[in-house]
This record gives sequence, structure tokens and C-alpha cells, in this order.
Amino acid sequence: MADLSVDLGFRTLKSPLIAASGTFGYGEEFLPFFDLDILGGVIMKGIFREPRPGNPPPRLHETPAGLLNSIGLAGPGSEKLQESIRRLRARTPVPIIVNVCGEDDDEFVAVAETFSAMAEVAMLELNISCPNVRQGGACPAQDAGHTARLVGRVKERIRKPLIVKLSPNVGDIVGVALAAQDAGADALSLVNTFLGLAVDIDARRPVFPNIYAGLSGPAIKPLALRLVREVCRKAYVPVIGIGGISSGRDVLEYILVGAAAVQIGTINFREPAAALRITHEIEAEMERLKIGNLSEIRGQLQT
Amino acid sequence: MLDERGLIEDARSLGGNYHLLKIAAPGIAAAAKPGHFVMVRVSAAYDPLLRRPLGILECRPPYIGLYFQALGRGTSMLAALGPGDSLDILGPLGNSFPEFPGKKVLLIAGGRGIVPLYHYAQVCAERRPLFLIYGGRGKADLPLLDRIKALRLQGLFIFSEDGSLGQKGLLTSGLEKIVREERPDVTLSCGPEPMLAALAGLLKPFPMQNLASLEAIMGCGFGVCHGCAVRTVTGALRKVCDEGPVFPLEEIQWPT
Repeated sequence: MADLSVDLGFRTLKSPLIAASGTFGYGEEFLPFFDLDILGGVIMKGIFREPRPGNPPPRLHETPAGLLNSIGLAGPGSEKLQESIRRLRARTPVPIIVNVCGEDDDEFVAVAETFSAMAEVAMLELNISCPNVRQGGACPAQDAGHTARLVGRVKERIRKPLIVKLSPNVGDIVGVALAAQDAGADALSLVNTFLGLAVDIDARRPVFPNIYAGLSGPAIKPLALRLVREVCRKAYVPVIGIGGISSGRDVLEYILVGAAAVQIGTINFREPAAALRITHEIEAEMERLKIGNLSEIRGQLQT
Repeated sequence: MLDERGLIEDARSLGGNYHLLKIAAPGIAAAAKPGHFVMVRVSAAYDPLLRRPLGILECRPPYIGLYFQALGRGTSMLAALGPGDSLDILGPLGNSFPEFPGKKVLLIAGGRGIVPLYHYAQVCAERRPLFLIYGGRGKADLPLLDRIKALRLQGLFIFSEDGSLGQKGLLTSGLEKIVREERPDVTLSCGPEPMLAALAGLLKPFPMQNLASLEAIMGCGFGVCHGCAVRTVTGALRKVCDEGPVFPLEEIQWPT
């Protein structure tokens, strides 16, 4: 049997597959479908200090092999999430990762501190890249200086590994990635959704009240894969690849360009047990290619 | 809730792009209650990417019955399937209608909004006085009428906008009179948003309990994506998939 474990340097995960924030609820929702402990980790839906209603409907629009969303990080607030995390921990030992959000830098720091203090939490992912919080998609990850300041402040106040989640909606993603790394990020995850637009020709209006929305799903995989490769070539911290993964082959593509692990997102909506299927597919591909551990092919893309 | 490979036993076109599917899905059929829905994967490829939410019309284990209109790409692909084809079905999902034992219940169905109410009538007609108001644009939009007539209803009121069947007009035009005469304890409704919005106004003066089953664009169907939010009168947003699809009619903020 293939060994699926991956080494992030600061921690070993039993699988390269991590459930992406915003696509896996608070974990519990997926317990009826498969044993979550096959995963390298489960990332909670993004959390702010206070409860948030999220954006007005409509919030979803399908595109060919893709999904535009404008959810706006609806969530129950930090206190409720702590209860959810304790409930999930009572059901499964899978590493729990908290996706930390904030309206401003102070809130990011406060939320990160709260969850850093929880024994049940394995690590934090700093969500500086959600395009649906402000109109036009503005977020800290669009600016290397802001990213560095914020990551530095958060790192000072927490004792858990910090993953920084990057936006693809920037001119120089490598610059932002290195800024996050140099400010103390233990790992980088990329990419968040691509800013997109859907138009209603009858109403002659954008489909979404916020105008732009975030595109995810198989449609974005080639775009995301390129950005992951760019960052992997320059960064020394581990990179977690995200974007359109729906099969074991997709996972190996990300590993080949240099990712240490990956996140699966939109596919979870279509197929609640996708992670289980993809796990089997990774094993089958590794067997076919005679790979004992994914570290043997990580970053081995021949050009 | 389970993700089950359903096998199509029978597929029928009812004209006017309405379709009926009889699917063997034993796990879901064993658990489904009136008001529940399922998420159906219509394509093995990734376009369309998401499953389609469909109400359960009837449930006779090991079969469930689905009734839908082929309007977009997803439902058209579903309509092209036939006996022997299989499809992934997630369900049963959502809350369901309470049974209301001993109460007089009025069902109000607009077009394909008949789906959860037919299911309710089939399960509950034997046990309580049940009335149904069923309206559509015309005869072609009410293709389930023969089946509905076979239900044990105490009263059936048909409306069509073009007058081709039953009384002419929107069902809302005759609603007040029926409510005054039959004095139901409860109304259960499902239909297009403008119909539900009108019902919320029309039923306000009466002392009944009113529940509506809502339709929404959904990403996952089980509470994870938050894509199907609907606004309530307090301004809060609720998820149609797992907090609904059945809500008190007056709790929803209807467009004016």
C-alpha cells in the first residue's frame, strides 16, 4: 500500500488531502459520508469574531465546470465555532485547522489568538484573500506590505503553525508569497477564488449584488496550477495547492509542480465523499507510477 | 442522509416539458418524509458542476418518484435519462412538513409546487381532512391532475390562468373564499415566489398556521456552502437546504 503521508516540515500529515475552508462546513456535516481521519486536515469555514449574515442572495452562479460564489463569509462567530470544534474533536482525531478572518488587522489578530489557545486546533490558516468581503474584491493579500505587517503581527501572538492563504487576483503573487514567508508564515496555501463576473442580460445587471464574485471548481485548475508552480519555485516554506482538484491525477499534478499538500474544495459540494474517492485514486496512481511516497515526485516537473 | 446510486425504473414525459422519474433508491426511500428533497447529479462530467435540488413527489420503498420541468441544462439532461440509467442521489434532505394530527389542512400548490404537497397528501390523506388548491397557467401545466383526483381529498379546487381547466384565474383569486368556507387549521403551500408572496398577504387576517416550502438555487443541499440563503422578516438569512425548505410563511421577507 502506498504511503500517503506528507511532511510539511513543522508537521507530518497522514494524507496530502485537506478539506478547503468554506467547502466543508465545520466538518461534522461530512461525518455521514466517510471517516474524516483519512484526511490530512479539515479547515473550518472562515471565522470572524462576531456572527456574520454574509451577502444577500443570490450567492451562487454556475459556469462551465465552475462555480461563482458570493457567500461573503457567513458564519456564527468565534464563540460558536469553538463549540463546533469541540464537538468535531469528540468524533474524530483528524487535524482541525481554523480559517481566521477579520474586518481589520486587529480582528485578525484577536481571532487568531482565540483559536491558537485551543488545544483541539492543529494550526491556523490566515484568510487574507476572500474576494467577497468588500465590493471590488479588495483584501489584504493584494498588497505585499499589508500582508507582511499582518502576518508578522499574527505570528507574534500565536503558538501554532500559520498557513497564509493567498489571492490569485494580484499582479505579483510571488511577491506577496515571499512577503508572507519572510514575515513568518509557516506555509502558504493558494489560491483562493478568482474574481469573476456574471451578467443577467434580461435585467442588464450583474447577477450578484456585489457585482464580482469568486470562481472555483475544475475550470480554474490550470490557472491555479501555474500560480502554485510560480510560488513553489521561489518559496522555501511548504506550499499547499488549491484550485479545481477533483481527482487523484489532479493531486499528483500539484505535487509535481512543487506543492507539499493540497486542498479540495468545490468538489465537496457535488460529491460529499469526494475525498474518499480521491484518496483511493491517489493510491492507485502511486501504485501505477511506482511511487512509494509523494515526496519522490514533489517538484519533479521536468521542463 | 446518504449518497445513493439510484436506478431509473421508469421515465415518463408528461408533455409541456414535464417529466416523471421512478427511481429505485432504497435507502432514501426508507427515510423520506413529505417535504424532504434530494440533490440529483445529472452529469458524470463537470458541466453542470452541481447537483440539482428536486422535491420528492412520492415514496414507495424502494422507489422514489421525482416530478420536474426540463427548463435549463441540468433538468434537460435529467429528462433525457431512461430506464436502466443510474444517477447519484443525495437525500433525504431538509426538514419536512409536520404531520398535524387531527387538524384540517389546506394544501396550496402552484405549478410544480405540487411536488411536496402531493407527497404530503399521499401519506396523510387517510388520517385527516385534506383540501387542495392547485393552480397553473393552463391545462398543460397541471399534468398530474389524474393522480391528484385519485387522492382521498375532501375538497379539490383547480385554477388555470387561461381557463382551460377548473376556475379561470390565479389560485390566489379564489383563495379567500375557500379559506372562509373550509376554515382550515393549517395551510401548507409551495409554488412560484410571487404566489407565496401573495399568500403571505392574503392569509394574514386568518388565524391559521401557514407553512411554505421554498425553492432555491443550491450548491450542496446539506448546509455546507451557504449558497441558498433566504432573508427573513427580521433581516436574518436562513439556509433553505437545512433550516428549510419548510418555513412559516410569515417568517420570510417576500419581495414587494
